[in-house]
Amino acid sequence: MVIGLILALIAGSLVSLQNIFNTKVNEKVGSWATTTLVLGMGFLASFIMSLIVEGNRIFTLRSMEPWYWISGLIGVGVVICLVQGTKRLGPTYAISIVLISQLGFALLWDSLGWLGLEKVPFTWKQLVGVLVIVGGILVFKLGGERETQKAA
Amino acid sequence: MRGIIFAFLAGACITLQGVSNARISQDIGTWQAATITQLTGFIMSFLILLFVRDGKWGGLKQVKPLYLIGGAFAAVIIFSEVTAIQQIGVTFTISSLLIAQLCLTFLIDINGWFGMEKRKMRLPQFIGIGLMIVGVVILKF
Repeated sequence: MVIGLILALIAGSLVSLQNIFNTKVNEKVGSWATTTLVLGMGFLASFIMSLIVEGNRIFTLRSMEPWYWISGLIGVGVVICLVQGTKRLGPTYAISIVLISQLGFALLWDSLGWLGLEKVPFTWKQLVGVLVIVGGILVFKLGGERETQKAA
Repeated sequence: MRGIIFAFLAGACITLQGVSNARISQDIGTWQAATITQLTGFIMSFLILLFVRDGKWGGLKQVKPLYLIGGAFAAVIIFSEVTAIQQIGVTFTISSLLIAQLCLTFLIDINGWFGMEKRKMRLPQFIGIGLMIVGVVILKF
């Protein structure tokens, strides 16, 4: 459990750094050029890691289901929705909703165990935990004006 | 209203992405799953870029090289997130991930690192982070 927690914390920290770096690129080159660059870099890095870890066995993709090929398009959907949402609501409100929606769907996914992931049964304790986190997000994002309200 | 729907869908898609990566990883390995999903995403986004032509390529030279490679973090992000989802479940993973994300962003903001505009820390942000951590503890214990 501790390893899982640490990995989640590492992922979150890197997401934060990546968001900041991407914002910097975005300011200069525009949002689709940024997305293309970011996904291209991600592909290269993952490809190199696959080669290091698995060697050329990676080219024999045995158990590929057809939908695996298109799941990468979800990432493109994320960008479209983020850009449109932020444009209409401003970063503070948009990101608050994004975070809350992320958590809500996480809970839904665990309880339903869709896509063959191990089911984590729904308990009221979990719902209370998620609601407290949502409260925290709202207080963090909306509570009190910070000095500048530029990026979220 | 449409803004709310877009933001809501963005959150749904981010979680869906983590979950589907975890699912694909079970079959073909985590690094390979990261490789394939990034590749198809890259191709799609490149096609859209050709279509909308909003690229200002001259701007690339004005960006610090460090910021250009931010995308490469995705390899480690996907690997860590997928492994975490497999070990501790989606809810616990996303909750911890978000806390780390918000805390680091906050830290960068108040210190003005990476040329970000410095922001003062206020009480609500501390209470917010505190509440989030309490929430995760409730979730797990």
